[in-house]
Amino acid sequence: MPGTTPLTAVVATARVMPPAIETQDLIKEYGELRALQGLSLTVEEGEFFGLLGPNGAGKTTFINTLVGLVRKSGGDVRVFGHDVEAEYQQARDAIGLAPQEFNVDRFFPIREVLMHKAGYHGISEDEAGKRADEVLKRVGIYDKRDERFDWLSGGMKRRLLLARALVTDPDLLILDEPTAGVDVQLRHDLWDLVTELNEEGTTVLLTTHYIEEAERLCDRVAILNEGRKVTVATPDDLKKEGSDTISVTLESPPATPPSLGDYAQDAWLTGDALEVRVDDGGSTAPQLLHDLEAEGYDIVDLEITRTSLEEVFVDLTEREDKSVTRSGEGDAGGDGSDGEGDSPHGEGGDDEEPGPEREKDFLEQDQGGVV
Amino acid sequence: MWSVGSRALFQREILRFVRRPKNTFMPPAITNVLYFAVFGVILGGRIDQIAGFDYILFILPGLVVLGTISNAFENASFSIFHGRWNEYIHETLTSPLSYAEMVVAYVAASAVRGIIVGVIIAIVGRLFVPISLENGLYLVTIMATISVLFAGFGIIGGLVARDFDDLTVMNQFILRPLVFFGAVFYSLEMLDPIWQQVSLLNPMVLMVDGVRYGLLGYSDLAAIGPSAYADYVPLASLAALIGVTTLVVLLDIYLFKIGYGLTD
Repeated sequence: MPGTTPLTAVVATARVMPPAIETQDLIKEYGELRALQGLSLTVEEGEFFGLLGPNGAGKTTFINTLVGLVRKSGGDVRVFGHDVEAEYQQARDAIGLAPQEFNVDRFFPIREVLMHKAGYHGISEDEAGKRADEVLKRVGIYDKRDERFDWLSGGMKRRLLLARALVTDPDLLILDEPTAGVDVQLRHDLWDLVTELNEEGTTVLLTTHYIEEAERLCDRVAILNEGRKVTVATPDDLKKEGSDTISVTLESPPATPPSLGDYAQDAWLTGDALEVRVDDGGSTAPQLLHDLEAEGYDIVDLEITRTSLEEVFVDLTEREDKSVTRSGEGDAGGDGSDGEGDSPHGEGGDDEEPGPEREKDFLEQDQGGVV
Repeated sequence: MWSVGSRALFQREILRFVRRPKNTFMPPAITNVLYFAVFGVILGGRIDQIAGFDYILFILPGLVVLGTISNAFENASFSIFHGRWNEYIHETLTSPLSYAEMVVAYVAASAVRGIIVGVIIAIVGRLFVPISLENGLYLVTIMATISVLFAGFGIIGGLVARDFDDLTVMNQFILRPLVFFGAVFYSLEMLDPIWQQVSLLNPMVLMVDGVRYGLLGYSDLAAIGPSAYADYVPLASLAALIGVTTLVVLLDIYLFKIGYGLTD
């Protein structure tokens, strides 16, 4: 049939589409400190991918390597198949970044800031104006379009960072702690928006400290710790890595916990309840009940407490810490230093946001050669 | 090299200083009114002509150079350093502009500011004394060259600086003394031969002399050099400046490429 593409060709094309992000043995060193230690990660196109990790895990360093704000010390990094250094223009054109820091141009009203950003991406002035209006409406701060950044509230500033990331219509949206310090309503608004974008086909890379956020939004999650990948899995699979607790209320509790099968990792008594830690509460509960009844206990109630992703996260990163400490093999990144905001480069650490007073001082210093 | 993206950055840079005339254009205008009034009219009236020109006319090209290069330098260095300090230069760095496009946009905008200030100073001078343009094409070329040169130096300054004090040091303690000893207020012919030779080590002499040649048709360097080469001196100065300017802009692009002062 003329004008149609055979299914095999579509499948073949789909197969050769490069991943949105692909890193191999990525290393970033700041002198003695290794912020990223051989990180290999693949994020598929269209995926909603989460990066979890404690402070200093290397999340922001990883993101900044993708956009060119950090130069890698080793390894290979590609965005949609484009090497981030050899083909930096193509790689950066595909990315929209909403960073943690409020790194916004203070000289111009926010609509113009967005137009400039779009312009840098080769978008004509007319089109840039339309897009700026569109994204400002989408994030809900269109009525503030003629204000300068410093006059926005904290929540509006977060929205603007997202708008700036969206104004270039990126294929890969990177959100670095987008909901840090925002109220519940805004957090939910942002969640809805990025979910919508992802459903429209945009690949999303999200770093967050909020486990609930990752659990709710992400298709897959990578846990980083001290520049290393601890694991990559779906939130559900991750939760399976943790343990559940079955709480069985007994009619006549014994003085000490009864002996149970190998399925019980641990058991203890809390008042009338026997608490048993198991790998998977749902599949283990019938066996536990059977064993207790066989021993003559009358069961009054049963409750299973599922592992939260947060507990798994803490468990995994603690486990990683212990293994790193035990191995003690020249781990320069294992000193607890923060590989993100603590670069030797200096100014503008993660927590160092210029306040209005500081900003005022800077603006006043542009005296333009006085002659 | 001159894409939609670099045009957008150029436009942003132009708007930044055009919208702040109190910081960018008024200070040099007012300062030069004072210079012309005090040095040109009050003191200049008691000073003999230099090389056949009234003193106020003789110093005018040097003041144009001083205003042009200090503003070109100031604009580029401030824009880069302020962007680094507040990290909004990331908007540019994370864009798909090539490093050459970024540098060309920053340098071109700063050079434009330098030239605008130079023209303002010339207009202020015109209020005090009639000016005739002797070598118009040469003047335009050398003004463009020195503006680009110092915009290029400003980029380096903005990348190297660790604090705003560093920018002040560069402008006030390096640029300005060099220009003042660059034969702005005196003729090289007034110096002993040994100091004439020392003055030739100061690159500002080439610029002041070149602009003076463009405006007044007189070159100090041609006057003190061998008469056989006198006609070639202004062109040799211009060629040397264009060469240095090219090298400085290439160095800017290289620094952007390696991310000096810009990336971790």
